[in-house]
Amino acid sequence: MFLPQNLLALCLGGLWGLMAGALPGISTSMGVVLLLPFTYSMSPITAFTILVSAYCGGITGGSITSILFGIPGEPSSVPTVIEGHSLAKQGRAAYALWVFLLCSIGGGLFSVFVMMAATPLIANFALRFGPPEYFALTLLGLSVVSGLSGGSILKGVLSALFGLFLAIVGTDGITGVERFTFGTTILLGGISFVTAMVGLLAVSEIFIEAEEPFKEYQEASGYRGMRKDLPKLSEFKRNLVNLIRSPIIGTIVGALPGAGATIAAFLAYGEAARTSKNPEKFGKGAVDGLMAAECANNASTGGSMTILLSLGIPGSNTTAMMIAALMIHGLQPGPLLLGQRPDVVYGIFVAMLMANLFLLGLTIVGIRIFLQLTRLPYSVFSATILILCVIGAFGLSNSVDDLYVMFAFGIIGYFMRKQGFPVAPAVLGLVLGDLAELSLRRSLLLSLGDPLILITRPISAVLLCGAVLSILYPLLKKPKALKEV
Amino acid sequence: MKRSQLIANAAVLAFFLFMLILAFELQEVRRFGEVGSGFWPLLVLSSATLLSLALLIKEWRSKSPLKEERPEVKEGPSSEGRKKVILSVICLLFYVVLMPFIGFILSTLLFILPFVLTLGERRRWVLALSPPLITALTVLVFAKFIAMPLPKGMGFFAALSRLFY
Repeated sequence: MFLPQNLLALCLGGLWGLMAGALPGISTSMGVVLLLPFTYSMSPITAFTILVSAYCGGITGGSITSILFGIPGEPSSVPTVIEGHSLAKQGRAAYALWVFLLCSIGGGLFSVFVMMAATPLIANFALRFGPPEYFALTLLGLSVVSGLSGGSILKGVLSALFGLFLAIVGTDGITGVERFTFGTTILLGGISFVTAMVGLLAVSEIFIEAEEPFKEYQEASGYRGMRKDLPKLSEFKRNLVNLIRSPIIGTIVGALPGAGATIAAFLAYGEAARTSKNPEKFGKGAVDGLMAAECANNASTGGSMTILLSLGIPGSNTTAMMIAALMIHGLQPGPLLLGQRPDVVYGIFVAMLMANLFLLGLTIVGIRIFLQLTRLPYSVFSATILILCVIGAFGLSNSVDDLYVMFAFGIIGYFMRKQGFPVAPAVLGLVLGDLAELSLRRSLLLSLGDPLILITRPISAVLLCGAVLSILYPLLKKPKALKEV
Repeated sequence: MKRSQLIANAAVLAFFLFMLILAFELQEVRRFGEVGSGFWPLLVLSSATLLSLALLIKEWRSKSPLKEERPEVKEGPSSEGRKKVILSVICLLFYVVLMPFIGFILSTLLFILPFVLTLGERRRWVLALSPPLITALTVLVFAKFIAMPLPKGMGFFAALSRLFY
C-alpha cells in the first residue's frame, strides 16, 4: 500500500474524484466508470486504491461547487447548497468549506473503522448464504434502487428489468445457448457492462448537457482564500451529538443496497433540523445542518463498501462500478473474497483510510484547481469526457465493437433520461443480472423446481420481504403516490 | 408532451413484447431436472411486458399532462437544444466510425472542432487551441505514459500514427 505507485494512485484518484464530484455534469459514478478501463493494466491493489480514492473524493467534491456556486455537484450535496451556499453569500465561504471538509473527513474515517470491523463479521455470517439468499439479496438491491431512484416507481422497476434483460444477452453460461444475439458476433460474449455503463452514464449525460444553453464562467461566492475564517473548536463541541449521530446514520444508510450518499445526507440533515435548538436558522446557513449532511454523505462510503466487500452487493451506484472492477481483476465479489484475497480486501481498507486522510490536503489543492478549471470552456470539458469514454471503451479489449456498443448505450441512456426512466437501476440490473439468474436456477435445482424454497428459508424470506417493502414503502408513505405509480 | 410520452411507452412495450416472443423459442433448451435457458428471460420479459403495458395504460388515462405533476419527465428541449443534441450525436458517430480507419490522432482532431462548435463555442482561441491541445494531451497521457493501446488506423494513417505512438 505504501509503494510509490499506490501513493500516486491515491493522490491522482482523489483529485480526479474531487473534480468529477465538483464539476456539474460529471458525477462520482461517472468519474469512477471513466477510470475503470484504465485500471486494467494495474495491480488489484493499485486499481482499487485509485477507485476508492476517486469514490471518496467524488462524494467530497460535490460540496465544493455547492458552497461556492450554489450548484450541487452531486445529488447528495443539495443540503450543502442550502446551508453552505447561504454561508458563502454571507461572506463566509472559507468557513463553510472548512466545516464541510473537516466533517466529511470525520464521517469518512468513522465509516472506514466500522467497515474494517463489520466486513469480516458480515462475511462470516454470509457464508450461510446459499443460492436462494443470493437471489433474494440481488432482488433487494434492485428493488431498493428502483423504489428510491426518484420519480415513478414503475419506471424505476422497468429500468431494472431492462438491465436484467441486458445481462441475459449473450451465451447462457449453463447450456451454452445463444440468447438474443441475432446472429451477430458483437453480442455473442454478452454486453460488456463497463462499456454499457460508460454509455449509459457518461455519454448520455453529455448529450443531456448539450441541450443546455452555452455556459459562461461563473464567479465563486464570497471566497477569499482558505486561510481566513477558520471554524472554532467550540462550534464542534456544541454540535457533538449531531457529529456522533450523523456518521452513524450515514454508515447504516450507506450499507442498505442501492441507498447511497443522497439518502444518507438528507436523512441526517432532516434529523439535525428536527433536533436543532435553532431550527429557524435552517435554510439560511445553519452550521449544524451543514455538519450533519457532510458527515453522513461521506460516512455512506464505508457503509456501501462494507456490503460490497462482505456480500458482493453494491450499496450505491458507484460501488456497482466496483463490482465491475473486481470482476475485471478476476476477483469474485462475495463473502469468500475476504478469505481468498485478504490482501486485496485489507488493501482496500487501508486505501479508504488513507484516502480520507489525504482528502484534507487534496481538497485544499483541489479547490484552487477547481476554481481555475471553471474558467475553462464547458464545451472543452464535454469533448474531453467523450474522448476519455472512447479511449476507455476501446482499451477494454482493443475492439472497435465496444465503441459502437458505447455509442448505442449513449443513445439509449439519453432517451431513458428524457422519458423519465432512471438509469441507475438499469446499470445495477446489468451488473447483478448474471448473479440473480444463476442463483435462481441453482435454487430451483436444489428444490427440484419448487419455488417455495425462496420463502421457506428464513434469511431469504426476510430479504424478499425487504424487497417488497422497499417498493411498497414509498407508496405507503405518501398515499397520493399511488396515482403516480 | 403527452403524445411523445405515449409513443415512447408504446415503443417500450413493443420492444419487450418482441423480445418476449423470441424468448419462447428458448424455453425447451434444457437438461433434465433443470429450468431451461428460456426460464429467466421469460420471467424478466413477461414482467417487463406487463409493467410497460400498465405504464402505457396509466399514461393513456393520465389527466395530468402538466409537467409539475410528473417531475420524472423532463421538459422537452427547445428546437435549438434538440439540434445541438442531434449534431453532437452525429459528431460522436463519425468519430467512432472513422477512428479505426484514420487512427486516433486525426479522428480526434477532426472531432473536437465541430463538437465544440455544436455546443455553442465561438471564441477563436478555444476553437484554435483545443483540438491540438486536447489531442496532444490525451496521446501523451494514454499512449505514452500509461501505454494504453489507441487505434492506429489503416495503411498510410497507421504509418502516420506510428510516428507518434
